[in-house]
Amino acid sequence: MSSRSGSCIVVGASSGIGLAIARRLAHLGRKVALLARREGELMAQVALINEALSCEAAFAYVHDVSDVDAAEGLFAKIETELGPVDELHYVAGVMPDIEPDEFDLDKDRQQVIVNMLGCIAWGNAAARRFLERKAGTIVGVSSVAQDRGRIGRPVYNASKAGMDTYLEALRNRLWRHGVRVTTIRPGFVETPMTAGLQLKGAISADSAAERILKATAKQKAIVYVPGKWRLIMTVIRTIPSFVFRKLSI
Amino acid sequence: MTPTTPTSSSSPTPSVPFHDEAVMGFGMSVGGQAKVARPTTVEQVADVFAGLRRDGGSLALRGAGCSYGDASNNNHGRVLDLTAMNRILSFDSQTGIAQCEPGVTVRDLWRRSIASGYWPRVVSGTMAVSMGGAAAMNIHGKNNFALGSFGECVRSFELMTPAGEIVKCSRETEPELFHAAISGFGMLGCFTKLEIQTKRVYSGRLRVYGIVARDIEHNLEILEDMCGEADYLVSWVDLQAKGKSLGRGLMHRADQMKPGEDPDGLRYFDPSLQDVPPNLFGVVPKSWLWPGMWCAVHMKQVALVNWLKFRAGFREERHSPYLQTHGAFHFLLDYVPRWHWMTKPGGLIQFQPFIPKNEGARVLRTLIEMCQKSGHVPYLGVLKKHRPDPFLMTHAVDGYSMAMDIAVSKNKSRRESLWRLCQEMAEVVLAAGGRFYYAKDAVLLESSFARVHGDETTKKFRALKEKWDPQRMLQTDLSRRLGV
Repeated sequence: MSSRSGSCIVVGASSGIGLAIARRLAHLGRKVALLARREGELMAQVALINEALSCEAAFAYVHDVSDVDAAEGLFAKIETELGPVDELHYVAGVMPDIEPDEFDLDKDRQQVIVNMLGCIAWGNAAARRFLERKAGTIVGVSSVAQDRGRIGRPVYNASKAGMDTYLEALRNRLWRHGVRVTTIRPGFVETPMTAGLQLKGAISADSAAERILKATAKQKAIVYVPGKWRLIMTVIRTIPSFVFRKLSI
Repeated sequence: MTPTTPTSSSSPTPSVPFHDEAVMGFGMSVGGQAKVARPTTVEQVADVFAGLRRDGGSLALRGAGCSYGDASNNNHGRVLDLTAMNRILSFDSQTGIAQCEPGVTVRDLWRRSIASGYWPRVVSGTMAVSMGGAAAMNIHGKNNFALGSFGECVRSFELMTPAGEIVKCSRETEPELFHAAISGFGMLGCFTKLEIQTKRVYSGRLRVYGIVARDIEHNLEILEDMCGEADYLVSWVDLQAKGKSLGRGLMHRADQMKPGEDPDGLRYFDPSLQDVPPNLFGVVPKSWLWPGMWCAVHMKQVALVNWLKFRAGFREERHSPYLQTHGAFHFLLDYVPRWHWMTKPGGLIQFQPFIPKNEGARVLRTLIEMCQKSGHVPYLGVLKKHRPDPFLMTHAVDGYSMAMDIAVSKNKSRRESLWRLCQEMAEVVLAAGGRFYYAKDAVLLESSFARVHGDETTKKFRALKEKWDPQRMLQTDLSRRLGV
């Protein structure tokens, strides 16, 4: 998989796909900075990784991604403590329950900040450094939900679409300088965020992490996880708007 | 089960309604119609208790219904099914302590805890068991000889007594009630919240050894040799084998990993990777297997299946040790969904005597021979090692237990002869100072109750019942059968 040797940052690493990515990176022998808001959970997960591997591979940094101004300083701090970072995974995301007739600005603001603005803050901090070094990988976990605006979660769709487009732009800016930007669009994955949803055929968070790291190593641009979602979303994207608005998907 | 008819207007009027349903034991051989209510809150439990205090009648407390016999049945009475009170109120990732409602299942708990590197200290062979049921029956797992029973991992609980008051119990605050409600088979009150301690694990996998045991003595010898080092020990026993192979089987030993021993096991902390796989060889849904097993039982081919399994044990022994997830090792009963349907239409009973160590080989040999002579040969035998625990009505002894699954016939005389056989076997066990386990039992007689626990303990338990439930609201088919 990854042949790089620098440190890694995983934003949103206390559970779900982020945690699975962090575990796999640590197991590969990388130094991994795990960033998450919930201190107790984060500390427990870092201790678990280090105990299971019997070495100091994981490092906890308590951080709330909605504090976007802190990203730059924290990135610098991590590089000082763990050495140069050459891989950033932005996996933080929120998907609150939204009623069909609910239009709650607080929930919407939270999604835009965590899903999109946080990604921009961390993406910028990484891009600036990686561009200077002409190397590095930025991975952003978007969603298949970004492909269409749907009735269930308008701002989740919009915030993930914003994140996705930002990552595409970043890719176009940086690729020519040797910096790789990979966009991950997961379909149904079993994580605490999707707990309670009836997701038929969902894959495990660890399986998603395995596919993400493989795709990253292969320097893929846009990756659906698992791959069948590329076909499913291609079909969904081609449904004309006048038909789509009558569907309940 | 689907609710059918609402109760009549003369019944209590709690905020949670009772519906007529068929309520069976897990073995499907005992049970009947009862009025069932499924509360979702402590207040609703209190409402139901208040209604019963006012109007009289009996109420059985029921968790996930995994007791094989009649421990959570109340034929023609009322049943309080607590499966809808199933929230994990909190889980501390640093200490592994969970606060659970009584309907939280073993599966709910391990799915939450394994993500943080914890596994329940005691789990049953099926993950469907509820926390309330597990505490009331003081269940055990394959590590009973090492970590004790389920009650030993309960730090504290809240118990709603039949009077409607909530008593907070722990080893320090209410030691008497704490040690009697755990193991008290739902006779003293309803658990409304339990504080459960889980244990740290350093890998999502266990190191497993398969060891062929030539006969019953060899099985016991392996248990004794390994109990100091192994974390889990359980033996599958072929109860069809006769002569010098009597009691032969396949012992499974599993050990937990130490820090750094299994770095690959890190990824198995993902709960999805612990679940028992739904397909055989990745293709055949396991839910299709029970009809094949039904054929083996009804066409008397169990001896052949057991022989094949025993032979396969040699191959497993050669390939040992191997790594297996905690889930795959523990939850054998969940491997084949609806496996117990193979005993339809009569169902099954599980006869599980607990036998003191020094009498182990003799009594087990006698019991197996009695089964074989009577023609009621168990299709499955499971041997485990146990240690005593401090709970009042405990089944645990310093010795062994043999769970024997026996298919029940619809034929009345055959069913009666099976019950007679079990009662005769119980005599042998009781004479040897053995005990029984109410999560399994369906056959013990009233006269046996005091002999299982001793006169003093029985008296103490009856005094506690009188103190906390003078109206005798909490009753089950089991409690009436044993004259509690």
